[in-house]
Amino acid sequence: MTESPHEVGGFAETSRGPLSKPAVKVDRLEKTLGSNHVLRGISFEARSGEIFGLLGPNGAGKTTTLRVICTLLTPDAGSVEVLGYGTRVSPQEVRRRVGVVTAEIGIYPRLTARENISYFAELSGLMDGEVHRRVDAVIDRLDMSSFAQQRAESLSSGQKQKVAIARAIVHDPPVLMFDEPTSNLDVLASREIREFMLESKGRGKSVIFSTHVLHDAERLCDRVTIIHQGRVVASGATAEVRGGFKDLEDSFLSLVGAAG
Amino acid sequence: MNPIAVVFKKEMLEILRDRRTLIAIGLAVIATPAVLFIISQVATKTATQAYTVGYAGDVPTGLDILFDATGLKLEKVDAPAEAAKQQVDIGLVFTASGVDEYYDPSRQTAQLADVRFQTVLSRYDAAKVAAALQQKGVDPSILNPLPVSVHPLSSPTQAASNSFLSFFLPYILITMSFTGGLSAALDASAGERERKTLESLLLTPVPRSQVLVGKILAVSTISLAAALAAIASMLIALSRIQFGGGTFSAQLSPVATIVMVWAAILLAASFSSLTVALGTLARSFRQGQAYATPLYFITIFPASIVLFIPDFNPNIAYYLIPIFNAVLLLRDAIAHNAVGWEQLAVTSVSLILTGTLSFYAALKLFTREALLVRS
Repeated sequence: MTESPHEVGGFAETSRGPLSKPAVKVDRLEKTLGSNHVLRGISFEARSGEIFGLLGPNGAGKTTTLRVICTLLTPDAGSVEVLGYGTRVSPQEVRRRVGVVTAEIGIYPRLTARENISYFAELSGLMDGEVHRRVDAVIDRLDMSSFAQQRAESLSSGQKQKVAIARAIVHDPPVLMFDEPTSNLDVLASREIREFMLESKGRGKSVIFSTHVLHDAERLCDRVTIIHQGRVVASGATAEVRGGFKDLEDSFLSLVGAAG
Repeated sequence: MNPIAVVFKKEMLEILRDRRTLIAIGLAVIATPAVLFIISQVATKTATQAYTVGYAGDVPTGLDILFDATGLKLEKVDAPAEAAKQQVDIGLVFTASGVDEYYDPSRQTAQLADVRFQTVLSRYDAAKVAAALQQKGVDPSILNPLPVSVHPLSSPTQAASNSFLSFFLPYILITMSFTGGLSAALDASAGERERKTLESLLLTPVPRSQVLVGKILAVSTISLAAALAAIASMLIALSRIQFGGGTFSAQLSPVATIVMVWAAILLAASFSSLTVALGTLARSFRQGQAYATPLYFITIFPASIVLFIPDFNPNIAYYLIPIFNAVLLLRDAIAHNAVGWEQLAVTSVSLILTGTLSFYAALKLFTREALLVRS
């Protein structure tokens, strides 16, 4: 580890500003799944208080990168640190500090929205008294009071996505990762997700936003990394990566085209 | 709260809200008494049913009374052989030299009527011979040179009941231990992948072994509850239903009860680990069911076979075979009201080992990367 670990406790671990230390540091990451060499030396850093875009076409390796960061997959080579904790050495400490929202809204249909959130709050290691307080706070923050007591099976897609977000943030993690979060949602629900990401950034969280929707990325991200076929093809502030092109999409097409 | 308790509590909540599991347990509780009730009705009907005897010629004096007393109804017909094909159950032609009997062995009622007729006939013959001997001044007991007095050392009713229970109870216990928790096991394992909740679950800082223990404990609880509920309903039904007009003693001895509960706990734990491991291997609930069906036959079939061999006296090595050993142990406990310590120890170790190995298999499967990549 290159830095001393921070204390657990959500906001206490975050710090604002582009010059802050990296919350997530990915260094020369390699990963092969089956016969597919998915990641070929990916490196980037995501800081607290920013939205960091991980961009690339489908199959570029975005989801695999996020899964390695949150310890679901073990890297073949290279390293990942989350707030100073290495994923190989301290996977449980990393998991305590990360919240992940994906496009696949998997929640327990026979539990109510509130029970779904409480389950993950308890598993996240929150104390018994704190669980109730945190669940209430998250329900209030995401405006879920009207359906909190309903079984998840009866909720709309947008409501389910809110439950999935609430589940991911109930332990107040300093690092939030969104993997194509809006791909199955309608316009209104997508907008709420974008607003939530901006709000989280404002609270000093490190937000990693993986998407192939470049319009969203251009509007939201402070910095981006574009990966293609498991390699980084561009990295930097969003405006820098856009360069002289009309928008990020043109820049992206140019970079991906150049990379073959 | 301890993470194992958190997972257990959540799984129990989901199971109790799952109609599939509740229906499976409900059916098990209702099905056994229903089947026993039908069997009792059939047995009672068979015992009291009257059969028709079509006859020609003159019925010997006294024989008609015996026919009537044993539920054989006499009906005069022109051609008994022809009538015995369908119109009546058996056909008899009384001649001066004896009786010609006609019956169709492919008809069950004909077989039963024939048995009764043979009984009637032997009683009639014995009475006739005794009367003839008495007329000639000879003691009829000469026909029975070695009279036997039977002194049963235990209640014949209890012995018959134990024999019945030693057949039925292990079968129901094993079947319900397996099927009662199957739906819950697949839901807790394959269901996590199918609902796409697995990734979120594995993202929590709780060690996967603890998640798995919580799940297996919940499945074991349901499995055990299903097995014991089915057994209880069976015993209650047996104590209230009459079989062929006879009573049934549906009481388990303390030894048999203790062995049954212990075997049920071991079976529930083993099957739960096994089915959760199987579910972890499957990509969906349906695929898990497809895997479980052959497993059910592999485990239940050999165990069931032994129930059909009443004189099977296994050596201690047989008690090493998981599931099979539980059947043997229960059979010993119910039929003989005794269990050897050696057999009990070997069975317990074997089943605990099976559960432990299955748990490690499930853990291995639960921690592989392919689990997430494939999902």
